[in-house]
Amino acid sequence: MKKRTLALLMAGAMTASVFTGCSKQATPDPTTAATTEAAKDSEAATTEAPKTEAPTEEAKKVALNVSTTFAGEDGNAGNYQDAIKAWQAETGNTVNDSSAVSDETVKARITSDFQMGSEPDVLFYFSGADANSFIEAGKVMSIDDIRKEYPDYASNMNDDLIAPSLVDNKKYAVPVNGFWEAMFVNTEVLEAAGVDMPGADYTWEQFLADCEKIKEAGYSPIAAALGNIPHYWWEFGIFNHGTPENHCTIPESVEDERGQAWVAGINDVKDLYERGYFPKNTLSATDDDTFLMFVEGKAAFLIDGSWKVGGIAGACQSDPNDAATLDADKLNNFSVTYVPGMNDRKATDLVGGLSMGYYITKKAWDDPDKREAAVNFVEYMTSDEVVPVFAQHTASALKAAPKVDESKFNSLQVKAMEMMSGVTSLTPAVQDIFNGECRTSTFDGMPQIVTGKVATEDAVKEGLEIYHAN
Amino acid sequence: MNTNKKFSAGDAVIYLILGVWALTTIYPIFWVVMNSFKAKNEILSNSFAIPTGDLFTLANYRTAFDRLNIFSAYRNSMIISCTVAAVVIVLAGMASFALVRYDFKLKKSLNSLVVAGMMFPVFSTIIPVFRMLSSWHLVNTESLALSLISVALPQIAGNLSFAIVVLTGYIRSLPIELEESAFLEGCSPLQIFSKIIVPLAKPSFATVAIFSFLWSYNDLFTQMFLLRLPQHRAITRLLNELTSNEGTNFGLMAASVSLVIIPVLIVYIFLQKYIIKGMTAGAVKG
Amino acid sequence: MGANIYKNKKPLFLFLVPAFAFMAIFLYYPFIQNILNSFKQIPELGAMDKGWNDPWYTNYVTMFQDENMRMALRNTLIMMVVTIIGQVGIAILLALLVDNIRVGAKFFRTVYFFPIVISATALGLMFNLIFLYDKGMVNQLLESLGRTELIDWKGENLALITMMLPVMWQYVGFYFVILITGLNNISGELYEAAAIDGATRLQRVRYISIPMLHNVMCTCVILGVTGALKVFDLPWTMFPKGIPLGETWLTGTYMYYQTFNTKNIDYSSAIAVLIVVLGIITAKVVNAIFKEKDY
Repeated sequence: MKKRTLALLMAGAMTASVFTGCSKQATPDPTTAATTEAAKDSEAATTEAPKTEAPTEEAKKVALNVSTTFAGEDGNAGNYQDAIKAWQAETGNTVNDSSAVSDETVKARITSDFQMGSEPDVLFYFSGADANSFIEAGKVMSIDDIRKEYPDYASNMNDDLIAPSLVDNKKYAVPVNGFWEAMFVNTEVLEAAGVDMPGADYTWEQFLADCEKIKEAGYSPIAAALGNIPHYWWEFGIFNHGTPENHCTIPESVEDERGQAWVAGINDVKDLYERGYFPKNTLSATDDDTFLMFVEGKAAFLIDGSWKVGGIAGACQSDPNDAATLDADKLNNFSVTYVPGMNDRKATDLVGGLSMGYYITKKAWDDPDKREAAVNFVEYMTSDEVVPVFAQHTASALKAAPKVDESKFNSLQVKAMEMMSGVTSLTPAVQDIFNGECRTSTFDGMPQIVTGKVATEDAVKEGLEIYHAN
Repeated sequence: MNTNKKFSAGDAVIYLILGVWALTTIYPIFWVVMNSFKAKNEILSNSFAIPTGDLFTLANYRTAFDRLNIFSAYRNSMIISCTVAAVVIVLAGMASFALVRYDFKLKKSLNSLVVAGMMFPVFSTIIPVFRMLSSWHLVNTESLALSLISVALPQIAGNLSFAIVVLTGYIRSLPIELEESAFLEGCSPLQIFSKIIVPLAKPSFATVAIFSFLWSYNDLFTQMFLLRLPQHRAITRLLNELTSNEGTNFGLMAASVSLVIIPVLIVYIFLQKYIIKGMTAGAVKG
Repeated sequence: MGANIYKNKKPLFLFLVPAFAFMAIFLYYPFIQNILNSFKQIPELGAMDKGWNDPWYTNYVTMFQDENMRMALRNTLIMMVVTIIGQVGIAILLALLVDNIRVGAKFFRTVYFFPIVISATALGLMFNLIFLYDKGMVNQLLESLGRTELIDWKGENLALITMMLPVMWQYVGFYFVILITGLNNISGELYEAAAIDGATRLQRVRYISIPMLHNVMCTCVILGVTGALKVFDLPWTMFPKGIPLGETWLTGTYMYYQTFNTKNIDYSSAIAVLIVVLGIITAKVVNAIFKEKDY
């Protein structure tokens, strides 16, 4: 039967191709798969050698693998692209850039990369708890170790302002631009409610009185989604019962002085909730919803980070990527000021600092071709010329910060500069240390706390126990 | 199918029900596309207004096209998702045929394994998969082909379960008489599969292919993990770059979504014809 | 008779091995890791474990005491019922109706597919704006009808409904496509024969379409109840972190939350195990109720 054999042949060919297709793709080398587990640790060390296959003398032109968070809508994404172009032109090296907006997926990817030995050569990343795993594993170079060979590395930086690692207190990441957290104000709402623009000596009592007036005028005093992002109120609530010196000390237990300060701070947030100063739907709204209320003139105050300067300006532009389309009149309705203070915290003591920086990985350092290029790249990206472009109104660690050209700034950026000039201290956020599971009871549990379903004391206690257990 | 010639009151009710549901499905697409022509500040306050006059802007599309290499991302997406869809229907088709028609000891356990395979959250399997792919040097490579394969492989596996569940449902409903007569004519099981089952179940294969394609195409998470260099990125991953920060630039987001869905809709409308063709082909004469 | 053709079991391997090899490598092996992970201490996603939990089943004990988990299971159960009645039910109705019209069938087939194409994030945003408290589409509409007080659709009383409606709506199209394909697979001759015998439209639906669709409907119900266990993106966009007050947790969103927000990877692995176990059990129950039919 001719037909039959033909069909058989065809069917045979089909399945054969499926099999080869499968084996080709799924298991390129069964032995690798079998030995993966055992080889994992040694692999990081061994793959370095074969990767530098052609270490010829004149092969000075290096392709550097760089990963940063300057991507997407990050205000500095464009600046970063410009800077790497300039560096490539200057040195003849190339950059393989795998920058991505930092979200939890990307963080998990970077952690995995370090374990599998596929980390980039240069990494711009967080210097807080997020860096712990690869610092513990000794996969990045400390600034001091680099200085042994390159004494001028990061010499333009004020070392005191570089955040040390939480693991070993050594400094690893060379910072570029910092952040601050302060209170944005919709001045239109203030005027309508007959409230004066708060200043540097703003106290909690004044704040409460102003909120009451704003509420009576029919507006929401505070734009915040306590069920979604209670972070800023948590931070400043606690900060108000401490000082810049002890703010970053995590309480040993809920009974000690700091522990009681945390309880008192969170109770202040509860008090604000009970007085009805948050939006009616604060427990069910998302952060975007409440930000919208603020922008649309339905709420007066918003505590948020320096990145919101761009966010608010963007909300006033018809083309969010073209500053020329800015509705300047609308933007003039917004201002930024200090966060009302109480006890030993002055209103001008803000949360902020330099939470990210450039790391050079050990992998790049041990690669004779790449070491020079990696150091050169970081030096370029953290030079006195490049840093101010990135930092703008936020802080930087430069010893001699050049004057910024304010003429290009919009009104809110200028107000931010003015506000920053009056700041008396910038303290890192304690929530960056108090990270992960231990936060759950007081962050995601905030709605339960403010509605009285869970006692503040219990929630703080639960979080601290988890923190100290890890 | 319908032999009644005149338009009855029953027809009117049917069209009314179908029309109302159609409105609810058309409006969102319309809403997304409409808002892609507005600036982000207008979307939040004016999201249900038609973009005319001052409201209208092409800025979102300009940004997307200026900043990103959209066309190479489309190409990458098409390569990945077509590979996934093709491999899935071949492998799932064969497995479903065996699971329906053969009786064997492990059948029940295999069926449970298939259902289980549908349930695995990708968040819990990604790390071991990443480690495997990494040890095979498929990730973090400069080779475009390897990068794309690294995304396709786990996606194929992820879609197989669903495809098998759906295809077994269809194949089970096929009349076995045709297979019996083919068997009497001397066809082997392989021939029966390729000559009887595949043509008869063509529309179902097309349906499974569409969903596999779609899920692969929209699967941002796997792409986020495995595609690094900008020139390797697939369209969903690329456009996510534009919109992920803060998640408040709704104009850009609407434009991105429009850019993502338009090719899919074209593919679907094209395959629609194929399904209907398959339907007439499916009505095999004796 | 059918048994005769398929008595020889040799080709079986050829048919089964490729698909199951793929799944073994990329699904089952990783999931075995996940099961092991659920007994370990893992500080963050992608990090090495810090040894076994003490006692090793800690996470499974926690799960039964976790109030959010209980809420997630309760909501997921409700979601399953909603899925079967709402999604599959509406989809069956729509599919049968579309199958019975002459003009426009192709149009409806195309547009009913639309919701599946749009990413859940975009849909989530749209529904957020529709249900926005101050003032989304619904509240604006109610206001124009004379209602003075704003309704918080995402507040405690309505949150569950506001979450489930969009999910239900989104997936009707999915089951519709599967069902309409099943209807297409039915030979037209059957209908013609029935018509010649004088069967009314309703009778044809009752005695041909529905019985012939039996297996496909069973598939849809399995996909529906298992889908309810892992549905994630649309609810997460609209109700992140179970707002308000943990009222809206689902097993899928809670697992994601434990993975990426609290970074309790071992606990989230345990939840994933629970999701899979529940998935298999519900699928078995559905199968037992429907009793697969071979033709």
